[in-house]
Amino acid sequence: MTLVFSTTSAGALVVKGSLPWTPNAGDPPTAVLPGPWVYFIPEEGAAIEALVDRLIPPDPQTPGGKDAGCAVFIDRQLAGSYGSAEGLYMRGPFANGTPQQGDQSPLTPAVRYRQALAALDKYCRATFAGKSFAQLPDDQKDKVISGLEEGSATLDGADGKMFFAQLLTNTREGFFADPVYGGNRDMVAWKMIGFPGARYDYRDWVDRHNERYPLPPVGFAGRPGWVRQGP
Amino acid sequence: MRIRTLTALAFAACITGGVSLRAVGDDQSFAKIERGRYLAVAGDCSACHTVPGGKPFAGGAALETPFGALVGPNITPDVATGIGAWSEADFLRAMSEGIGKNGTRLYPAMPYPAYTKVTRDDASAIWAYLRTLEPVGNAVQSNQLLFPFNARRPATATWDLINFKPGVFEPDPAKSETWNRGAYLVEGLGHCGTCHTPKNITGGDRGDMVLQGALLQNWYAPDVTTDLRTGIGSWAVEEIVRYLKTGANSFDIASGPMAEAVENSTSHMTDADLLAIATYLKDSPPRNGPAVAALAGNDRRMVAGQAIYEDRCAACHVSSGAGAPTLFPRLAKAPLIQSDDPTSLIRVVLIGSRAGATAAAPTAPAMPAFGWNLNDAEVADVLTYIRNAWGNAAAPIQPASVATLRDRLQR
Repeated sequence: MTLVFSTTSAGALVVKGSLPWTPNAGDPPTAVLPGPWVYFIPEEGAAIEALVDRLIPPDPQTPGGKDAGCAVFIDRQLAGSYGSAEGLYMRGPFANGTPQQGDQSPLTPAVRYRQALAALDKYCRATFAGKSFAQLPDDQKDKVISGLEEGSATLDGADGKMFFAQLLTNTREGFFADPVYGGNRDMVAWKMIGFPGARYDYRDWVDRHNERYPLPPVGFAGRPGWVRQGP
Repeated sequence: MRIRTLTALAFAACITGGVSLRAVGDDQSFAKIERGRYLAVAGDCSACHTVPGGKPFAGGAALETPFGALVGPNITPDVATGIGAWSEADFLRAMSEGIGKNGTRLYPAMPYPAYTKVTRDDASAIWAYLRTLEPVGNAVQSNQLLFPFNARRPATATWDLINFKPGVFEPDPAKSETWNRGAYLVEGLGHCGTCHTPKNITGGDRGDMVLQGALLQNWYAPDVTTDLRTGIGSWAVEEIVRYLKTGANSFDIASGPMAEAVENSTSHMTDADLLAIATYLKDSPPRNGPAVAALAGNDRRMVAGQAIYEDRCAACHVSSGAGAPTLFPRLAKAPLIQSDDPTSLIRVVLIGSRAGATAAAPTAPAMPAFGWNLNDAEVADVLTYIRNAWGNAAAPIQPASVATLRDRLQR
C-alpha cells in the first residue's frame, strides 16, 4: 500500500506550549486621509458625489451621502484591494450565473465604475441637452437613478442595473462603515441610528432594561471625548 | 549471543549498583544532586544562563544594564567554553565572593551580593548538580559593557568596596524557622532585590530602600514591601503564595521578567518555601512612601481617561476595575497600578504583554497593544485615570513620559 502525502503548503501551523505572542501584534486599518481623488478623475468624482447625495439625501438632522464622505469612501475602495478584485477568482470561463451565484463579471469593480460613469455621462448629455449628471436638477437626477434601477435607462457600454445595485451597496457601506475608511464622517450615520460603535461588550447593561445606553459611538480612531476638554 | 548480552547487562547493573552504593555522601549522591537541582531552580540560574529554548545552562541570555549588556556565561561542565575546568572551590568562591577562577572579578550581574548569603552546603549541592549537566560547547562573550565599564578589574574591585558585604545568611533567633527560611531565600538564593531593590549610581543595591521597587530593562519591578498602596500590604500570605506558585492571584498576573521568574523558578518551588517567602515579605516594614491624594474625577485628564477606559479597557478589566480572576488583572486597589514609576503600565498599554503560563494557570492571557491606537496624551490620560479611580491614588502621567518610552521600545 502506498500512502501519498500532500506537501502543498497550507496556511496552518502547529502550536505547542502556549499560543504565539509578539509585542505590538495587530493589524490595524490604514486610515483614509482627506484629499484629492485617488482613483476617480474629477468628472467621475463629481458624478459620484451627485449620485450618493441623491441615494442618501441630506436632511436637517443628518448630512447626505456626499457630506458624510461616501464618495471618498468609494474612491479609496476602488483604488485598493476591493477595486482590483484582489482575492477573487478572476479567470474564465465567465458565464451568466444564477442570482444565487452572485457577481460573475470578468471586470473588476474599478473598471466597472469607470465604464459605467462614462456611459452615464454620455447618456445624460444626450438626454438632457449636453448636461452632465451632476448638473441636473434633483428631480431629473432621481429619474435617471430610477431608470438605472429599473433598467429603463439603457447605458451604452455598461450594465446600468448592475451599476445601480453596486453603487447603492457601496454607498450604504460608506455611510455606515467605520469613519477610518473615509465615509461616516464624525460617525454621523451611527449617531442617526443610535449605534454605539465598535464596542466590545455591554455586560454592565445586560440587566438594565428600558434605559438609554449612555455612551456615544466610538470608532477605530476613537471619539472626541478622548481628548482633554476645557482649560 | 543472547546470553552474552544478558551477562553484559547484568555486569553493567552490578557496576552501577556499586557506584550508587559508594556515592552516598559524596558528589555523586542523588539526594545531593537533586537538592542542588532544586536550589538552582530556586535561584533561577537559568534566567541568565539559559537562552529561552536553548540548551540548559549553556549561557547566552543578555541582561541589559544602564552600563551595557552582560551575557550569562556557559556554566555547563564543558572544559573549553563552560566551567568544566573549575574546581568546587572555584565555584564556591564565585558564589560567595564574586571572584571566578584565576581570580577574575565577576560583574555583579551575577548576583553574588545575594548569593554570598547561600550556605556552603547549598552552594556545594548546586555545584554537584551543575557537574551532572551535559557539557555544551558554546563560547559566550559575557562582557558586552560600554567603555569604561568593560574594564573589569578596577571597576568591580571599587564596586565591591562600596556595595558588597560578603557573608553567609545569619538566622534571626527571635524569628520563626519559616521566617528565617524566607529571609534566606529572599535575600540569598532568590535574589529578589536584584530586580526589586532600587540601585545607587554605581548599580549597587540601596540598603535603605530594600525591595521598594526598581526599574530594569524598560520594566518596573514593583514595590514588594508591605506598603498598603504600592506594595503587598493588602495581600494575604496565601495570595502571595498563589502568585508565586501559579503566576496569578486575586490582585495581579505576572508579566514580563516576573512571568519568567514564576515560570522558571517560583512555580517549581515547594509550598513550604513559598510560604516561607510570603511570611518573610509580610513581616517586612512598609516603604512609608509619601501620602498621595487621588486626582478629582472632574480633572480634565480624568474625564478624557475615563472615556478611553470605557471604550478600550473596560471590556476586559470591567468598568469597576475589578478585572477577572486569573484572566484579566484587577486594576482597582492594585499595587502595581499605583506604583511611583509607571514604566510597566505605559509599556503594556503601548506594546501589549503576555502573562506567564504555569501548570496551575496555563492560559497565559495576553494584553493587546494600543500604541497604534492611542497617542501619547491618550495613553497618559487613560493611565492617569486608572491610577486615580476606584480608590487608587497615584501621580498623573505626563505625555512626555509616554513619548520617551515609546521611543525607547521602538529601538
